[in-house]
Amino acid sequence: MKISCNVLKKHLKNSEKINFIDIWDKFTIRSAEVEEVIIKGNNFDNVVVAKIIECKKHPESNKLSILKVSDGKEDYQIVCGAPNVKVGFIGALVKVGGRIDNMVITKRKLAGIESWGMMCSAKELGIGDDHEGILQLPSDTPIGLPVKEVLPIEDIIVEIDNKSLTNRPDLWGHYGIAREIAAITGHELLPLEILEPDEVGNKLNIAIKNPELCYRYTSIKLDNIINNKSPLWMQIFLYYTGMKSINLIVDITNYVMLELGQPMHAFDSRVVHNIEVGLAKGGDKYLTLDGIERTLSNKDLMIKNKGQYFGIAGVMGGLDSEILEDTTSIILESASFEASSIRKTAISLGLRTEASSRFEKSLDPNLTMLAAKRYYKLLKDENPDLVLGSDLTDIYLKDFKEKEIVLKKSLLTKYFDFEMQDEDVKSILESLEFKVKVNKNDYKVTVPTFRANKDVTIPADIIEEIGRIYGYEYFVPKAIKMDLSFYKDEPSYDEAYNLKNYLATKYNLNEVHSYLWNKTSFLNDLNIKKDNIKLVGKSEDNILRDDLNLSMLEFAKTNIKTSENFGIFEIGTIIKDGDNHRMLSILLNCEKDKLKFTFNKAKEIAKNIFREIKNMDLIFEFGKSHEYYNQDLTLNLIVNNKIIGQIKPFTRSIANKISKKDSFVILEINFEEFINLKLEKPDYQEVSKYPTTELDYTIITKRGQYYNKLEEILEKFTSPIIIKRELLDIYLEETNKKVTIRYTVGSYEKTLTNDELQNFKEEFIKFLHQNELDIIEE
Amino acid sequence: MKEELKKLVESAAVDAKRIKNENDYLNIKSKYLGKKSKLSDLMKNLKDMTTEEKKEYGPIFNKIKKDLESLFTKYYDDVLNKEEKITFDPTIPIKEKKGSLHPITIIAKEVTDVLKNIGFMVLEGPEMESEYYNFTALNVAENHPARDMQDTYWLDNGLLLRTHTSPVQVRAMEKYGVPIKMCVPGRVYRNEDLDASHENTFFQVEGMVIDKNISISNVIYVMKGMLKEVFNQDIEVRLRPGFFPFVEPGFELDCSCTICGGKGCQTCKNTGWIELCPCGMIHPEVLNMSGINPEEYSGFAFGLGLTRLAMMKYKIKDIRVLNSGNLKFLEQFNVR
Repeated sequence: MKISCNVLKKHLKNSEKINFIDIWDKFTIRSAEVEEVIIKGNNFDNVVVAKIIECKKHPESNKLSILKVSDGKEDYQIVCGAPNVKVGFIGALVKVGGRIDNMVITKRKLAGIESWGMMCSAKELGIGDDHEGILQLPSDTPIGLPVKEVLPIEDIIVEIDNKSLTNRPDLWGHYGIAREIAAITGHELLPLEILEPDEVGNKLNIAIKNPELCYRYTSIKLDNIINNKSPLWMQIFLYYTGMKSINLIVDITNYVMLELGQPMHAFDSRVVHNIEVGLAKGGDKYLTLDGIERTLSNKDLMIKNKGQYFGIAGVMGGLDSEILEDTTSIILESASFEASSIRKTAISLGLRTEASSRFEKSLDPNLTMLAAKRYYKLLKDENPDLVLGSDLTDIYLKDFKEKEIVLKKSLLTKYFDFEMQDEDVKSILESLEFKVKVNKNDYKVTVPTFRANKDVTIPADIIEEIGRIYGYEYFVPKAIKMDLSFYKDEPSYDEAYNLKNYLATKYNLNEVHSYLWNKTSFLNDLNIKKDNIKLVGKSEDNILRDDLNLSMLEFAKTNIKTSENFGIFEIGTIIKDGDNHRMLSILLNCEKDKLKFTFNKAKEIAKNIFREIKNMDLIFEFGKSHEYYNQDLTLNLIVNNKIIGQIKPFTRSIANKISKKDSFVILEINFEEFINLKLEKPDYQEVSKYPTTELDYTIITKRGQYYNKLEEILEKFTSPIIIKRELLDIYLEETNKKVTIRYTVGSYEKTLTNDELQNFKEEFIKFLHQNELDIIEE
Repeated sequence: MKEELKKLVESAAVDAKRIKNENDYLNIKSKYLGKKSKLSDLMKNLKDMTTEEKKEYGPIFNKIKKDLESLFTKYYDDVLNKEEKITFDPTIPIKEKKGSLHPITIIAKEVTDVLKNIGFMVLEGPEMESEYYNFTALNVAENHPARDMQDTYWLDNGLLLRTHTSPVQVRAMEKYGVPIKMCVPGRVYRNEDLDASHENTFFQVEGMVIDKNISISNVIYVMKGMLKEVFNQDIEVRLRPGFFPFVEPGFELDCSCTICGGKGCQTCKNTGWIELCPCGMIHPEVLNMSGINPEEYSGFAFGLGLTRLAMMKYKIKDIRVLNSGNLKFLEQFNVR
């Protein structure tokens, strides 16, 4: 929202003592964020009010005129291209030596005729967009004066961040901002100049059909509006604050809105006679002021009568009751509507206006009367012969009153950590127009209606008012007085960090962050169909993922051309069976002929994660997974007889979609179950004092036989002297697979004898033969 | 005899210099000191000598034996102690490890470590969340714009993707009661179109303290201290009024611009300040709804944008790179 300091000054006593450039830093930390401070009117020099006393056609040009222009002291010959020049016209003259933007005006010839300056357009002076003709000043403007003295061209325009005003309906106009400045600087806020219309004895016919959506409707009929042209000062103000000047009737509605925050609307009384506020009929079409036809819903509040719509309440008026140049009689609307209804209508129609954005902040219903009287005053100033067409008619169904809040002094001291003096509290709150009664233990605070609507409702709100005006910069930082009782921390964050750190440092993996939904185009490319909980209102990338590994594969695609043999991972959320789950997914990439190596790498990582972080033994078993994984190479990771994760390469056909040369192996671990595993303490066994012996045996199995089958058999061979069994080597022959196993044997009581070792060997070979296996004798 | 011994010692001294390896050493020892050596032969004469001669030659033989032994050991030691010839290039660069943590993970660790130092628990919470925890229990009114579809990812099962880490405030109050000091780093979601400074998926860290005498001065202390640690430099902070339904008073916390140090630059739009973090005193209604008596307890909460902090700290210009999975970007973040 743009604020003109010229207008602020009108509302503040002794405003010349306020530095309107520096005050905004303080305003930012006291009230609301100021985004920009712009100085206006410094783009030109030496421009004076001048009168055209002669006007001739240029002999060489159709467009140009030769003017004689007087500044009251001297006459100047000016060659001018504007179409609206005529004798008696009073305008703005920039003399030789003067400046417009970066252009210094010199004496020069135009089509052979000397010109001693230039008559300026509104655009050249930076006070409007009009560049068609030169700026016309009122006929009573004293000539010779600098134009900056007769028009409020010099101004400071302040842009305030709208977002920081969402909860301050009172700050959506200059008067509210002036009130804040008064509180910040200790200046006095001047009362607003209004005019009470006399009673003429006829009330307007106003019916509110939906009192829950329209709290108040204040209206008056004004006739005999002869002058419908806005004064220049108002046009400049509207231009500076980002509004377009239309005509006087409309401009004053906007002026009052910018001043008080109360949106207003004027209907041409040739079209509108009676007012009814009620909901639209769903599906009806309606042509708004901007010339666009809109389809209404039965939730849209309308201004209407007898089946005819006159405006969308609080949003925009209709085209057929628009104020035209020849309008002389109006019905003025100054109303208060329910905030969220206006917001919903504005959003559903895609029509957010200055009015709707104010109404949706919950305006004070008591503003409507003030605004109407202010409007009447401003219109009467420009139209002394204005005639009242009706009484000021006010339908106010639910009286909105000031609010009383009791603030305990102890609460204030607790929040501030220091004691405020009663008189400071009182003066701060009173500067904001709160009323304060100081009691022994509390303050009884009366909140004015313009703050009580939504913003200030509880004691903590009063604390905020005191704190911000007192100044948070005067608060001394203080350490929390700690409570040092033991507390139970949750392990999941630390577990996640430690695991990530382990993977990055030990296995050189790179952590990635992905989205919670699958990319639709990616799944389509892979021919993978997914159904899961969806984002509402989106048709693409809207299915929440149930498999984090696919997100990793998406990133594999991102990197396949620029990196090789990479390994990426994420601990992320998936949504499965209607609930959140956290998974660790690791993707290892390799050339496809290195699959064996990479697959084993995944196993090594898995095994070591559990061994080094949880001190637990991990067992691999064949498992099953989605069809897009290689089913023959899907291993379950089993801890404590429970599946906690899987290792699985993507199928060849899926991998081919990413790269025909590469394989992608997934290691996934259910992270929630991982956290729940308690760290096992090391299973320490005393070391035997007696030497151990290593016995290596090479067993012959069939080539196609997996090692785990042999292991299942070897599990069954028991002997008290076995300390450890390990796989040393596998050697493939044409039809056979030779597996070398090493037994470490020993005893805690003595050194084993050769007989005992020989006996062990015989027992072992016998066992193998029973299981139809053979051994290579050395 | 003496002459022979003298020659023997001289020849041994010459041979000793030729010791190049263990073999030479053993050979020379056997040649001069072994059973079949010249010295051995000469010593055999001892038994035929007179007592006088024995007295004279006995010590001589012993001395020669000892001298030769130490001579050979000395030369062999020299061989053993000699540095090996360098057969490799010690200047070859090593293959660098390229494992990395995501920058958000690194910054989250820094922030949570600082908060842990003053006794904060580190909690986590679900990303798919209920309307109750995300809005209602945080005093966000039924018709508040934040609940709109324009801002929130609603799901077709009636739940939503959490728009902030604040729902964990409520979960923590329910689970642990008061007093409590906790923080919650985590992923949050907003229905935004992506551009260089907007993401629909980003990270925050929530902080919350509730106890009997928590004040605004405590907020300033904690925020200032935390930022100082994270940025490793003194940071000025200022509070501005800000409106968030779950705090009252609510603040926007600005920190002095880390780029220009507060003098004014492009990053801080010439203000010297950067908007960093909404915070405030927990709204009494929020405490009430979680069964905590606001007459007795007060607290503060903040929601620091981790993504924003990471971008500031590492000078990342385009937010989209964070969720891009691009290794050329990610590899640059070493593990702390």
